[in-house]
Amino acid sequence: MSVTSDVDLSPIALLEAIRHQGKEWDVLAPRYGVTNPDPPWKFPLIGTFESLAASGSLPALERRGAEDELGNSVYSEVPAPERDLLALAHTMLTRGLLTEEELVRRMRAVRSRLEAA
Amino acid sequence: MAKIKADKPNNKPRFKVGDRVRLKDMPNMFYTRTQNYVRGAIGTIAACTYQDLIPEDEAFNYDGRIEQFYIVRFRQKDLWEDYPVENDTLQTETPEHWLESAGK
Amino acid sequence: MTTAHEHSHSGDDHAHKAAPMVEEISDYEVLELAVRELCIERGLFTAEDHRRFTEFAESIGPAAGSRLVAKVWTDPAFKKRVLEDGTKACKEIGIDWFEPTGFGTPSDYTHFVALEDTPTLHHVIVCTLCSCYPRPLLGHSPYWYRSTNYRRRLVRWPRQVLAEFGLILPPEVEIRVEDSNQKCRFMVIPMRPEGTKNWTEEQLAKIVTRDCMIGVALPTPGKTEDFHPVHKASRPAESSPPKAAE
Repeated sequence: MSVTSDVDLSPIALLEAIRHQGKEWDVLAPRYGVTNPDPPWKFPLIGTFESLAASGSLPALERRGAEDELGNSVYSEVPAPERDLLALAHTMLTRGLLTEEELVRRMRAVRSRLEAA
Repeated sequence: MAKIKADKPNNKPRFKVGDRVRLKDMPNMFYTRTQNYVRGAIGTIAACTYQDLIPEDEAFNYDGRIEQFYIVRFRQKDLWEDYPVENDTLQTETPEHWLESAGK
Repeated sequence: MTTAHEHSHSGDDHAHKAAPMVEEISDYEVLELAVRELCIERGLFTAEDHRRFTEFAESIGPAAGSRLVAKVWTDPAFKKRVLEDGTKACKEIGIDWFEPTGFGTPSDYTHFVALEDTPTLHHVIVCTLCSCYPRPLLGHSPYWYRSTNYRRRLVRWPRQVLAEFGLILPPEVEIRVEDSNQKCRFMVIPMRPEGTKNWTEEQLAKIVTRDCMIGVALPTPGKTEDFHPVHKASRPAESSPPKAAE
């Protein structure tokens, strides 16, 4: 019933590396005694979904179709908020909206900034 | 934020609540929100909802066709082979061009 | 495969209590921010739009829906207004479907329709295409609602799926599945249960949980939480569903 997307389901090295670290919220939160059921980035992620749809850059139906297919295959072992995030990154990379190289670079820069704060 | 603003609608709805209609089985050229499982089925108009751009045009951000949208009610027994319960129904929403009259 | 339990509390707005943060920065946190920054730099959307939609996402929860149902149960004139024009009636309980842009969000639009249950009619909502959901009233959809498992099976085998939630209704009760595939957004107004005579709106709202407004549960005195095991990594929908239990 879901929309068939043409998203390439081949694993992407950067995203595989992230998901193999096992740092999902439902692992981290109990480790630190945090009771909030959602990671803090869940709402900005939803903000990104809406903004991409509103601008026409990535319509919701298309994104959700890809998310369904990726969630039933490459990311089927990943819990929900992380799965949606990986599916978004995967979809944007395969559509050429972002490149893996720039994402790797930007992640490094973001991490340095967050760790310095 | 870009938004396609529909012109003031002035289409007379073709169907009214209670009319028997068939959901046409048309080929999907492009983008559609009509599910496979209702194609070819006969139901009744449950409500007239609003007039708006049809999804087939809106997805491409043109000034497209504005149509009346309807909620159509189907008997589950008419949608699925071997559906076991007589009274159960399903409703879904569709723009007018997917519908044709199915008589009395 | 591990299981996690998913709660939703009716009567509380979405939990934004100050909670201690986890003491490490996960790559997920970094990835979300990196994607967002690159999108803004690439002009895929503006920081302003992102801020607005994020604030909206943080503001919504199922308490509004619970309030709406409690008011429908206690105020017949309000009920009539809700059934005539759902979007307009929502403003009376402080929910404006036109926020945060003036014309709604690209997920929710502005056409809210309340589905009233009766003794012989029970509604349940789904969006087979992508999981559209009445977020201004119910907040974010639960993960099971978004699964292909629920979306594919509810339209075909509603009674089996409801039974898995613990809800079994006799065949004389019409089960009506509402597939929200276009711009209307739906919410169930369940029947007011026995044993609630003279209850205040606040007391009533507490037993109208999110699952009751989706249609997979019935409001019950004493039951103020949705609780069911959630299995991560669900398998895709089966092609041959279990035999109908009638």
